[in-house]
Amino acid sequence: MAERDAAEATMSHQAPERSSIPSGDNTVWADISPLLDAACKELGDGEMIHGENFNLFAAMSALEIMDPKMDSGIVSKYCSLDEAIEDGAAPVPLSHDKTIDVQSIIDIMDHLLACEATWHSGHSLAQTVFSCIYLLRLDRTSSHAILHSYCRVIRATCKAVVSVVSDARTHEEEDLFSMTYGLPLDGDGDEKCLSFLNAVEETICRQLRAYIEPLQHNLDLEDGFCKALLCRLRFPKCYHAVAFCICLQPVVLDITHRICSLPALLSFIRLLQHFFHTLACMRRPQGRGFEMARKHIASCILELESILKSAEFLRFGVCGTCEDSIEDKTTASGHTPIGFDASLNSRSAAPTPPRAIKILSWKRAVEYFVKLLHDLDVICSYSLDPSLEGVLRFVVQFQKSKPDLVARAHLQVLLVQDGKLYGRDPIFAVITKASALPEFTKNHDIQKSECFMQLGQLVINMLKILCTNAAWQRRKLGKILQDWRVIYVQLELALRNEVGEVSSNMDDEKMSVKILRHVLNWVEEQTYWIASRFLMLGFELDLYSPSEYCMVYWYLYVVLIKLAEKTHFRMAVSNEPIKRKGKKKKDSLKEVAKESRVHPAILFLQCHMCLAEGLTMMLAALRNDLMVLQSQNPFNTEQERFLQHFELLQKACIPDHISYPSFKESTSYARLSTLVMYNYFKDAQRIAKEIKSSFSNDPEKLAELRRIEQVAEHNGIALNVISQVGALDPSLKVTFEFTHHPCFATAVVKRS
Amino acid sequence: MEQEEEEARMHKAEFDPPEIEYVSYGGEHHLPLIMNLVDQELSEPYSIFTYRYFVYLWPHLSFLAFHKGKCVGTVVCKMGEHRSTFRGYIAMLVVIKPYRGRGIATELVTRSIKVMMESGCEEVTLEAEVTNKGALALYGRLGFIRAKRLFRYYLNGVDAFRLKLLFPCPEIHPSLSMMADRVESHGHHDHISPEECPEHHHIS
Repeated sequence: MAERDAAEATMSHQAPERSSIPSGDNTVWADISPLLDAACKELGDGEMIHGENFNLFAAMSALEIMDPKMDSGIVSKYCSLDEAIEDGAAPVPLSHDKTIDVQSIIDIMDHLLACEATWHSGHSLAQTVFSCIYLLRLDRTSSHAILHSYCRVIRATCKAVVSVVSDARTHEEEDLFSMTYGLPLDGDGDEKCLSFLNAVEETICRQLRAYIEPLQHNLDLEDGFCKALLCRLRFPKCYHAVAFCICLQPVVLDITHRICSLPALLSFIRLLQHFFHTLACMRRPQGRGFEMARKHIASCILELESILKSAEFLRFGVCGTCEDSIEDKTTASGHTPIGFDASLNSRSAAPTPPRAIKILSWKRAVEYFVKLLHDLDVICSYSLDPSLEGVLRFVVQFQKSKPDLVARAHLQVLLVQDGKLYGRDPIFAVITKASALPEFTKNHDIQKSECFMQLGQLVINMLKILCTNAAWQRRKLGKILQDWRVIYVQLELALRNEVGEVSSNMDDEKMSVKILRHVLNWVEEQTYWIASRFLMLGFELDLYSPSEYCMVYWYLYVVLIKLAEKTHFRMAVSNEPIKRKGKKKKDSLKEVAKESRVHPAILFLQCHMCLAEGLTMMLAALRNDLMVLQSQNPFNTEQERFLQHFELLQKACIPDHISYPSFKESTSYARLSTLVMYNYFKDAQRIAKEIKSSFSNDPEKLAELRRIEQVAEHNGIALNVISQVGALDPSLKVTFEFTHHPCFATAVVKRS
Repeated sequence: MEQEEEEARMHKAEFDPPEIEYVSYGGEHHLPLIMNLVDQELSEPYSIFTYRYFVYLWPHLSFLAFHKGKCVGTVVCKMGEHRSTFRGYIAMLVVIKPYRGRGIATELVTRSIKVMMESGCEEVTLEAEVTNKGALALYGRLGFIRAKRLFRYYLNGVDAFRLKLLFPCPEIHPSLSMMADRVESHGHHDHISPEECPEHHHIS
């Protein structure tokens, strides 16, 4: 009813022609107010008018207009960029007063720095750096040399960063990052922007000298006066200084301000120059620009320090003693910068989420850049280790400092270029080296087989995944386990075919069999390495609850056994020319470990195994004896939680014949009394101590051994305490903390 | 955080748990109650369509808790096919501050999960902020595991955990096919990843 009435009402009202959006061939503009009026009268609560294709799921994406939480349009001050500019939101020059002009430019630079850091931390370019009206209309600034050249270099820097992140494709979950659609990121002649900036830098230096010379002259004459002024200017409690300065002649104040502002300005310009150079040097293939990049990074850090120092001066007289409020500001001075409006882009085509974001404070932004530069420096000081083992170790170590997207993208672009390691070493050569095959095998024709092509791709994928953020990395590592398993099965099949076939060329046949045998073992070793990393990352991401630690350590233990077994086999064949068959019983490794000739790398793994086994048994005994750390719930059992946590490992049969019943079997008899008799933690401590001398040149491994010792020592003591008083004292509380190691917990025993 | 807890203690409502009445979503008159509660406690703005999507399609999965006629808590859920498993999804869970810490949220969510289980769901999922200790503890007690961490999931930059509860014995439940038909008849294609859905759990 309502619809028909409304439709009639619409027909009788001819809507006025709209000029902004013309009507198409089959469409015409109509006033729908009468339709809505009629509908409002007819409809009850919960009823609505909708088309046939309406569905409730799609309707969730609806935004309610005029609700400031959803409709970002209503909070914007201007309807268009032109309107903002006409209204004087971004004047050129910023002020006709030279002093204010310089100060305002510093504020803009500060804010742009904060914007850039905010962008790097996962927000859109449109809402951060490109909230700068000057950047959106760069042509307007051409009369202002500093502003113009600075903005151009900022634009070029953003472009360089977008390019490295896009090339790396490590930004799966951070896709806002490289969305630049609708933003004026491409500018003609931006490659020349640095020369403009260099010219500006020179001019400022000249100006600075011109100011300082007369003042130095003055200094001689009125030494005491100037010193008093300068020291007050630097005095943190500015009240006295403000009072003092007000009494001074404006000219003196003006000059002092400008002298102190100019170095800050210079620092910004130099920071940007060096940062731009750093990015350019780092992009040179195979790390050829690293040495130069490190020099620029060092200069960047120096300039950031000067910028930090300038803050005290810039803040002078702005808000007196209100240190707190300055903490949130995006500029060192605490001023709101001229020429920014984040809401402008919400009306343009640029992709932005409909909500306002908070720009990082100036202080946090400086901290961010210091960290970024440090991370980039770590990459630049890496010596392109040709062994895959070395690469993996470096990446894992690098990730420990939780580098941000930009640094991770740089690492990835370095590691994988043109389908080669460092853009230099063919992946097949990397694989044969990792499999302990002789050097000449790297040219063998077997690399052209489908299997090896796929394996090469898997290695590249793994390297890329290892450069992503920990959360994403773990998910991806879990998924690729299946691929590694499949390639293993294919290689095994290929090996069987090779052995079965009688080749005309016996030597060649032997070689391909040898390659397949070695690679097969290495694929398994690598698969278990990925599995162990997958399990350990779960601790860093806080994915396990204390009641699940027991099963996680147990699983980690069984994976580590297999890893050590495969590593041992690889080392055995690479050290001994005589072939040894890799048939080993499950427990053989323990016996082997007791032999004095076991490689330190295996013993190192053994330490981790002892900790994992010790924690498994300790946790199991606590459950069996003290009935703690059990979780009963109304909906499922421990078995379901086991299946969920290890679903990806189980699907890929990593390791074979491992299931929930085998976990129960190996833990249900654990008792505190027997654990004290056979203390795994003591083993861990003993081995760690023994192998320290083998790693005297490896500070990372030594640090890890120290952590192992600490975990083992604390847990050993805790185990003794619990076994002595645990059963008798119900007030005893055992908790697990990660104070000594990110993955291996330390038991803390307390009386409640 | 501590201050917040202190405040909460000071403004604790006095009541006996049996005084709380739990009601399944009963129609349009409940909608404003749910909306008010969620609007009041959560910063994320939801349009009325978001609520309608859930309560219209799965009214039997949404519950409200009343104390002396006042709505003090609610849970909003859905279920459907997701990558060949039939799964339940908890979209919103809210209990107002003075009533927290007394098991109301647990009761609300338990009721929803029971209906999901009876309807043939194989698992239940949801997302919660990594900083939301109360929600994480509650779901942990119910058997949920933290299956994944979602990097900077929320617009405020906070990571989320994807929590999952797997029901035992994945036998074919007779009502499973029925449920699938019912969902289909609403013309709703539920191949949506939960990421696209609203997600907040404020209960402690």
